[in-house]
Amino acid sequence: MSDFLLEFVEITQTIGDGLFFGTTYALIGIGFSLIFGAMRKLNMTYAAAALAGAYVGLAAFTFINAPAPVVFLISALASGLIGGAVYITCFRFIPINNHLAALMASIGALFFIDEIVVHTTDGSPLTFPALFDDVMFEMGPYGVRGDLLFVLAVNIVSTIGLLYVLYRTRLGLATRAVSQQDVAAQLCGIDVHRTNAITFVLAGLLGGIAGSMTASAVGVLSPLITVPLTVKGLIVSVIGGLGSIPGAIAAGLLVGGLENAFLYFRGVNERDMYVLLLLFVFLIFRPDGLFGSAIDRD
Amino acid sequence: MLELRGLSKHFGGVRAVDELDITVQEGEIFGLIGPNGSGKSTTINLICGVYQETAGTVRFHEELMNGKPPHQRLRAGIARTFQNIRLFPNLTVWQNLWVAQNSPEDLATQGFLSRWFGATRRTRREIATLLELADLEHKSDELASNLAFGEQRRLEFARAAAARPKLLLLDEPAAGMNRQEIHDLSLRIRRIRDSGVTILLVEHVMELVMGVAEQIAVLNFGQKIASGTPGDVQRNKAVQEAYLGTSDSDAPSLDTGD
Amino acid sequence: MSYYLGLAQLIGIHTLLGLSAYVLMLTGQLSLGQAGFFAIGAYSAGILTVIFELPILPALLAAAVIAAFFAFLVGFPALRVKGLMLVVATIAFGEFVRLFFFNLSWRVPRGDIVVGPDSTNGFREIRYFVANGWSPWEITAFVWTFVILIMAALWWMDRSRAGAVLRAVGEDELATQSVGVNLTAVKVTAMTAGGFIAGIGGALYAHTATYVDHLTFTVLLATFAVSYPILGGLSSVFGTLVAVVFIQGVLVEGLRFMGDWRNIVFGLLIIMAMNLKPSGLFDARTAQVLKRAVGLGAQEKSDA
Repeated sequence: MSDFLLEFVEITQTIGDGLFFGTTYALIGIGFSLIFGAMRKLNMTYAAAALAGAYVGLAAFTFINAPAPVVFLISALASGLIGGAVYITCFRFIPINNHLAALMASIGALFFIDEIVVHTTDGSPLTFPALFDDVMFEMGPYGVRGDLLFVLAVNIVSTIGLLYVLYRTRLGLATRAVSQQDVAAQLCGIDVHRTNAITFVLAGLLGGIAGSMTASAVGVLSPLITVPLTVKGLIVSVIGGLGSIPGAIAAGLLVGGLENAFLYFRGVNERDMYVLLLLFVFLIFRPDGLFGSAIDRD
Repeated sequence: MLELRGLSKHFGGVRAVDELDITVQEGEIFGLIGPNGSGKSTTINLICGVYQETAGTVRFHEELMNGKPPHQRLRAGIARTFQNIRLFPNLTVWQNLWVAQNSPEDLATQGFLSRWFGATRRTRREIATLLELADLEHKSDELASNLAFGEQRRLEFARAAAARPKLLLLDEPAAGMNRQEIHDLSLRIRRIRDSGVTILLVEHVMELVMGVAEQIAVLNFGQKIASGTPGDVQRNKAVQEAYLGTSDSDAPSLDTGD
Repeated sequence: MSYYLGLAQLIGIHTLLGLSAYVLMLTGQLSLGQAGFFAIGAYSAGILTVIFELPILPALLAAAVIAAFFAFLVGFPALRVKGLMLVVATIAFGEFVRLFFFNLSWRVPRGDIVVGPDSTNGFREIRYFVANGWSPWEITAFVWTFVILIMAALWWMDRSRAGAVLRAVGEDELATQSVGVNLTAVKVTAMTAGGFIAGIGGALYAHTATYVDHLTFTVLLATFAVSYPILGGLSSVFGTLVAVVFIQGVLVEGLRFMGDWRNIVFGLLIIMAMNLKPSGLFDARTAQVLKRAVGLGAQEKSDA
């Protein structure tokens, strides 16, 4: 094979891996968007809670040697619980139209959660279990890591599961009703606080899956990734159009793929700068994101 | 002095304002009426530059206004009030008027420093006059949010007047008023007109429009369906249909209510 | 003693950081990017005194102007986004600046050592004060001269029409435009002023700390910046100062016995404050009531 072809294979392989990883960003972006859709508020703790959930799962792995699937499950449940707790402490009792206060409270909670994680783990990275990490699929010149394929499968199944809940169940109907017209929903007998709480728990479950999948794909869990993951989740939800779930999926894949392309061409230190530039490009030329105007209420 | 030609505003597939032609003569009180959602407020927002028109032109004193931001239109002489009063609630009454000191005279006579960092004697006098006209002298230190509803309306009028406008757009000023207040309002509107300000009145309350307006245009689904004097409009079949959904001659007429 | 002087310097510098967010917050813009301007000020001033060997005063002013210039540039695209989108955009800006300095390497030989920003290893030996024999007292006085100047300027500005206009923009942008205020100019000016103030703060920080690296300028620092005016309220610049003294002086120092755990208290404090007093500990209304209670009605109107 010529050099050019080799390089081409290498680039496409890198971008392909990025797309796999992008499904995780998509999950985080969906979480931000779900909560934004429900309350028109940003829950800044979201990525931190996702990783904290993964830490709880990791504790189960370390202390009782739980198998990987159980670790993932515990991560999801723990993150869901944290999501509920965040709702109560940072959103439930703050006036609905005070976006600033809720935002600040959730930033406070972000540092609170992050500090607890840093202190209980001494801030050092810990090994996180993965499934099928010894499997490698060969497809012509391309190779696909088994663990990444597993991550991809889990992420797709969770996304479909979420869409099912949102669009095919009464609970999802209530969630969407609240997000579109909370007063009217209330008049129809929907308990807004309960619905919002459920949205937070639901988003939390999703975050826990994303968190454990991130850790599993990277192989280690470290508090150092909290802020970058938060920023990437925010970028994904903004590029996708805040509040838009299909947008978050598309943007997650876009960011994942481009990130690895930047990694390939510019190296790991500069990679994230270009991802941020991508956000600025969108903010200037397409502030509503990929999928139109999600922000219609101000 | 104000000419709208073929003015259109579409929101997605909705034609909020469609091919609107309106001419307002200097010194008149022009009423713009129509059922809910007929595009009245959108028209005001197009004239003020809050919305960008989809098509058509807005001319003021022959000058093309398209593309100009709201503050430039204000400085050209178009001031407005809002349907749901929009004061600066946590500023005092005095500060509300201070912020609004942007009349062409203010801009011409004040340097950068005195304009932004000082309050010249002229400015103080100006604001005192406005307060007096609005019957709010004794409330000047009060936060705007502490004013009664009627006082808030008067403050908003005074704030618009601070710009020394040539054209004043009133967006449903009678909303939420009782009969006595509406009567006072119509006197106030006439007084403003008599001081040389042209008025475009968007209103729901027929009693007010039919009482003060000299020319009226009726909007329905974003289009002008009738225009003329209050008498012409009241007799117009299309107008009665738009308002009452019927041309039945037994239907109550659009009278002034007295 | 020098420990308390160091604390006084830190409080002064954080007050500047808080004031840079205060100016913007008056116009209703919440920026979590102030740490970025602070970083630009810190690195620029360090580079000017260390690599270009400028005296501190011109270096500091130049750094503030550079930070202000970038704030001005950021101001225009930031106008297109509002509220939560602006928060995301400014977080991203702050992270971008941090990553830029994370990657910046500009090493210059000076005598027998090499100086300048050294990417991940940070920027060491910003030793202007030490090299010129400044005592801790002199450094503290230098820092507080700027704090007092900026506070006085903002206090005066707050009382002027400019202050009323900034607050009007913060309360209702559309209404402010409709009474003839050029919204773009006001918001960009506020952004630029915020960048200038943060730039001074950063420049002072780099020289008092003698060492900066990208980890100094994280989202946590940006959160501190906005927390001060939020907790201290927007009714006057003194609220910000009080909040800085409370958080940096009382809370962070007072909880020294908790060791590294005390950052958790900062998180808890914000959560509690937002739940109990969502519009800040001193909102405008409270301030108005307090003012009247001590007989200080709005004096600016008193017509001659």
